[in-house]
Amino acid sequence: MSLELGPYELRLLTVAGCYALPVLGYQLVFGHAGALSLAQGAFFGLGAYATALLATRWGWGFLATFPASILVPVALAALVAAPVLRLRSHYFALATLGIAQVVLLAAVNWTELTGGANGLAGVPGVVFAGVPVPRGWPMLALVWGLVLAVMLASHLALRGRWSRAFALLRARPLAAAAIGLDEGRMRLAAFLASAACAGAGGALYVHTLRVVSPEALGFPVMVACLAMSVIGGAKHVLGAPLGALLLVHLPEWFRFLDLYRNVAYGAALLAAIVLAPSGIAGALARALPRRAAPAPKPQAPPAPRRPRADEGPLLAIDGLAKSFGGVRALDGVALSLRPGEILGLIGPNGSGKTTLLNLVSGFETPDRGAIRLAGARIDAMPPHAIARSGVGRTFQTPALVEEMSALDAVSLARGKELVAARPEAMHFLAEVGIGAEAAAEKVGRLPFGLRRRVELARALALQPRLLLLDEPASGLTAGEREALGNLLRRLAGQGLGLLVVEHDMPFLLGLAHRVACLDEGRLIALGTPAEVRRAPAVIAAYLGEAA
Amino acid sequence: MTTLLLQLLLNALALGAAYALIALGFVLVLNATSAVNFAQGDMVMAGGYVAIALAAVLPLPGIALLPVVAVLMAALGALLSLLAYFPLIGRPPVAVFISTIALGVMLEGSANAIFGAEPRAAPALVGAGAIELAGIHLPYQRLAIVALASLLILLQHLLFAKTQLGRRLRAVAQDREMARALGIAAAPLIAGTFALGTGLAGAAGLLLANEWFVTPTEGTNYILKAYIAVTIGGWGSVPGAVVGALLVALFEVGVSSALSYSVATALLYAAVLAILFFRPQGIFGEAAQARA
Amino acid sequence: MQRLVLACLLVLFSTAVRAQDVSIPVLVPLTGFLSLEGQSQRNGALLALRNPPPGITPRFEVADTGVSPEIAVNAFEKALGSRPLAVVASMLGTQMLAMMPLAAEAKVPLVTVSGTAKITEMGNPWVFRFFPGDAVVKTAQARYVIEELGKRRPAIVYQTTAYGQSGREHLDAMFRKLGAPPVFEEGIGVDVKDLLPVLAKVSASGADVLALQLHAPSTALLIRQAASMGLGIPIVAGSAIHQPSTAALLEPRELAGICAESAASPISGGSAALEAWIEEYRKEFQSEPDAYALAQYDGTMMVLREAAAGARTPEALARALSSARYEGLAMTYKSDGRGNMAHSAVILCYDGTSRVPQIVKRYDNIDGVL
Repeated sequence: MSLELGPYELRLLTVAGCYALPVLGYQLVFGHAGALSLAQGAFFGLGAYATALLATRWGWGFLATFPASILVPVALAALVAAPVLRLRSHYFALATLGIAQVVLLAAVNWTELTGGANGLAGVPGVVFAGVPVPRGWPMLALVWGLVLAVMLASHLALRGRWSRAFALLRARPLAAAAIGLDEGRMRLAAFLASAACAGAGGALYVHTLRVVSPEALGFPVMVACLAMSVIGGAKHVLGAPLGALLLVHLPEWFRFLDLYRNVAYGAALLAAIVLAPSGIAGALARALPRRAAPAPKPQAPPAPRRPRADEGPLLAIDGLAKSFGGVRALDGVALSLRPGEILGLIGPNGSGKTTLLNLVSGFETPDRGAIRLAGARIDAMPPHAIARSGVGRTFQTPALVEEMSALDAVSLARGKELVAARPEAMHFLAEVGIGAEAAAEKVGRLPFGLRRRVELARALALQPRLLLLDEPASGLTAGEREALGNLLRRLAGQGLGLLVVEHDMPFLLGLAHRVACLDEGRLIALGTPAEVRRAPAVIAAYLGEAA
Repeated sequence: MTTLLLQLLLNALALGAAYALIALGFVLVLNATSAVNFAQGDMVMAGGYVAIALAAVLPLPGIALLPVVAVLMAALGALLSLLAYFPLIGRPPVAVFISTIALGVMLEGSANAIFGAEPRAAPALVGAGAIELAGIHLPYQRLAIVALASLLILLQHLLFAKTQLGRRLRAVAQDREMARALGIAAAPLIAGTFALGTGLAGAAGLLLANEWFVTPTEGTNYILKAYIAVTIGGWGSVPGAVVGALLVALFEVGVSSALSYSVATALLYAAVLAILFFRPQGIFGEAAQARA
Repeated sequence: MQRLVLACLLVLFSTAVRAQDVSIPVLVPLTGFLSLEGQSQRNGALLALRNPPPGITPRFEVADTGVSPEIAVNAFEKALGSRPLAVVASMLGTQMLAMMPLAAEAKVPLVTVSGTAKITEMGNPWVFRFFPGDAVVKTAQARYVIEELGKRRPAIVYQTTAYGQSGREHLDAMFRKLGAPPVFEEGIGVDVKDLLPVLAKVSASGADVLALQLHAPSTALLIRQAASMGLGIPIVAGSAIHQPSTAALLEPRELAGICAESAASPISGGSAALEAWIEEYRKEFQSEPDAYALAQYDGTMMVLREAAAGARTPEALARALSSARYEGLAMTYKSDGRGNMAHSAVILCYDGTSRVPQIVKRYDNIDGVL
């Protein structure tokens, strides 16, 4: 049956393979890293131009042009990565679109090199070490062989820890940073890999088509890549070949619609994004029953050395100030925290408590002042580095990915492959009182109190020296609060320093060794719970709020 | 020389005024939904064709057709929100970006199938002719574009600043949850914002399609200009969008006069990249929080 | 393997010969920025295919090639399945360049009206161009500017597309050859709206004539803005303005004094046969024909005539097209040995009272092939 394919069918299949490669790359940057890059079409076209130029002008063979076609877009991606990658979604989309437009402009106007709008004709077919690869079945095999190889590589690289790390990055970027994931490096890796895949696809495309023109760099190619990933499925390797096969054939199938062909194409894309948000591959994956990984037996990792109380302050904050717009969120705050100490942080709403935690975590940089962790300045460090140097934290509302199992959420913080991380993660889950059954459950299905505990377990899995907790008791039942208090006391007993923001006064005053009170960004009281409770400034601040 | 400069300035103002209407529609939808409406450029194109189709039935000057075009386009905008926005609530903002790209492809394909690819001209706003003022040639059409765009921008401003409806729209734009808590039904207001934004795009389409013609493929060009204008002006800032649009037009006309069109285009994108790098909040500061 | 291929080809050809009818697919851009010209091309081809000379029944399928080489090649490969005698091929140069190697491999003549110079410079014996290439029309345009208008300081404004860049190259070379090197040249993108900046620069350059090589929208925009600012020097445009739909964008007074090159101007009238053809075209398609439609009609009709005369295989047809001389409605066609069939051009001018131009100058047999 397969032998009945004519040259036309073989060509479409080959072209689909050429598109599957950039789409595989696009899955990394768009599907996994969640960045709407609009430069993938330009990277694809650059790969095509590199091959066409090197082959027609300088007579290079496939073994030289192919790596060059991968390198050229990767080099451009690396060049623009620094300014572009730190931009958030809509700015990133515009910036990458701008880059694509500049590349297109160069291809059209740099006629001496690129042949201008006519492009370059007479590109040879693939010659593999002296053996020509004719079009039809051999070229098809070469293209799809490469597609399968990239699919396999992508699957192996992402199947465990990294697809989950990217999921956390997309959904809760701050939480990702707080467990030491380096967002910048992850996005860079995805961006460069996507450019490499696009270049490879462009090279094979130009060998298939034998000509290249600025159309290969244009926005329609970009839209095609986007449509293929969305319709095929942006997070599953199978989505790339499925999307490419479908969208290369769709315009051909729609030929009977004549002038309305493109309308049908757009409608198909719209229908896919509305009706099948995770694409064909996503729908297939959901249809197939999947066993959740059984929770392994807990295994305690080697305990880190914890500083002793007499080694000096664990956290020292000095003269800290931060403004947003014209509003002083923090103004000259000084604090310190010893190992094994629980320091409570209170204050009315908007007094700067969460800002203080965010500054210590590195989510914000202070305008003035210093933050030291065990004597070393951390206030200029990026958040993931601060996390790795031993600062764990939780958030006011648990920052978890609902579709991920509790076990995997905690495993991510161990910074190693899942197989090795899971038994250790079970240890930390057990520490907060979560058993095997709840650990295997998706976070979204757990009750609120358990989610708080999962997040705490994730922070503990970093094996931090300092733990920052933002309203850990809110939303918990009385029993859960008591258990939480006992757990926190036990952790402090192990030498951990805890900075706890909490509105529940009885809970906090019964727990903390010392309490600091903020009002309008200033520290208005610092002392034992009993002292702070009696401080006139604190009473005034709270009464003022209450009144 | 001065005459030429003034002439160029008027051209830039007319072009900038039309860009401003496009950018304004873009930013209104952005504020109400924090979603990028990538079909906004194609809506401008569609507005041009609606005007042409109307003129075939009602042979009236453009100024009389304008309200009808705006209303028809507003209806199309509401339809757009039903197709490409409401089904995607609760999904990442990128989803709307893509669904509106898809809608743009559909609009472009429809225009090509219905009207053909040849450039078409919408009826003139007012009759042809020009004022000669101190040696400067001021065509009525351009003056009318500037005047009409300013009027529409002013009306939009009054709607938002002075009316109950405008206050509700703003409330929804600022905080949908809060608006809901206050008993404001968000959905019709969001659909209304899409309608308003698309109506403005349609008006721009009519203004542009007489003086500069319309072809099915030019939506992409307009959305890029609007996108850049909104980024330069400060993401989510309404006055910023207007000023940004004028700056883009001035930049284009200025650089292409002094150097060349290709240099102007390349420099425009270089300038956008530089602004994103050094001042990501835009020249006038970001009004919308980075919700997207 | 080779023997197998040979056997396949033999089977293929013998069936083609035995068939009573021949297949001539029409692969032209019907969507995208060149779809106006593509639709003219389709209409011209259809008019010929629906009214073939006696003794031949052509089968034909029309397929859109969009704007990208990829879609054109897909359509071509699919069309090969019908074992075509010849293919009416896209006038988009990049699509021609992509289809040509395949046509050579499959041995199928491509009959086109693409003006892109390069397609007949690749040494491909399967390309037959029935529209004068840039070498012909740009020579006519430049000669008219220098010899008839007596201008010495031309400026060139061209589109940054294949059409514009290829035309600019020939125009520039021809002006230099005629001893009047251009004093100003600039390329503009298809999305440029405000043309006053370039007109101002043309004005400042001291040019005494402006030669255009722009697509329809930019040509119309430029002419309108030139009229509005009072450019004050003559404009000799490329063939885009001769298309009735382009001229329709402008008021007759804005067109006053504008001249342009073209292969022909059907609506300007001519022989009785041409008038009859124009009537037929209007009846069939409810629109005005342009030079592309006429040229594609002539080309397709020549193919049908040669087929009716016995050239029933692609190879026989290619031989016939390479050597025969054909009196078409627009002009006389004969190959120069590289597939350039058309060698004449006209200059037409608008007098400011109507949108129908007058032919003011004919340049027949510019390259001396006939």
